[in-house]
Amino acid sequence: MNQSISHDDAAAALASVARARQDVAQEVGLPTWYWWSMAAWWVGISALNELEIRWLTIAVTVVLGAVHASLAGRLLSGRRRTSDLQVSGDVVGRRTTAAMFALLIVLVAVTVGVGFALNADGMEHPALGAGVFVGTIVALGGPTLLRAARKVFGA
Amino acid sequence: MTPAPSGFDELIHPSTRLSLVSTLAAADWAEFGFLREALGLSDSALSKQLATLEEAGYVATERRLEGRRHKVRARLTPVGREAFNGHVAALQAIVAAAVATES
Repeated sequence: MNQSISHDDAAAALASVARARQDVAQEVGLPTWYWWSMAAWWVGISALNELEIRWLTIAVTVVLGAVHASLAGRLLSGRRRTSDLQVSGDVVGRRTTAAMFALLIVLVAVTVGVGFALNADGMEHPALGAGVFVGTIVALGGPTLLRAARKVFGA
Repeated sequence: MTPAPSGFDELIHPSTRLSLVSTLAAADWAEFGFLREALGLSDSALSKQLATLEEAGYVATERRLEGRRHKVRARLTPVGREAFNGHVAALQAIVAAAVATES
């Protein structure tokens, strides 16, 4: 190669490489339908819980848990948020999956907490209330929550 | 000015092509439409850049029928990925050499 290149040019080129990688990393996430279906499950399980038919609640939770687990490998890596590109595993990293699982645990904890609070407040259907509350957050704010969780995990 | 070290790739270095290759390097594949929006290029400008990279064996494109529309998907080939990694390493070496000279 005969070309000469200045330090500034090289630094600018590296900055452009980093920017492009960051732009692609912004595409990490889950499809919209995933968040809405998760919200629906949340409300559905809470509603079942109100019926106080324990076996049914447990059965539905297990079935939905299995469906979720089967989706996990394909979706939870966050590599397939859109059909426009597939983010490389190298860019996504394992921390995104960890952030997603942590988010799920936090959402369960919030649901239980809100349920107890509503119960203490004398609400007639506290579990359903908590489910609708968290389900709405998941449906409308899922992508934002995942972004925040990824930031916490440094993903 | 520093003579370009080994690994520096003149084909990849121009800014538009560097952004294109960097984007593809961060993805397994990307649709033509995504690349066009991400890089702010016209259809013809992007096609030209992809064709240049494809000729060099750095990029592979695949035409797929989705519904009634043809979609073009591009990805870096192993050769392209190696060239990109070599180019980034060369740029890092230039910056590191300049920092070492200054200190």
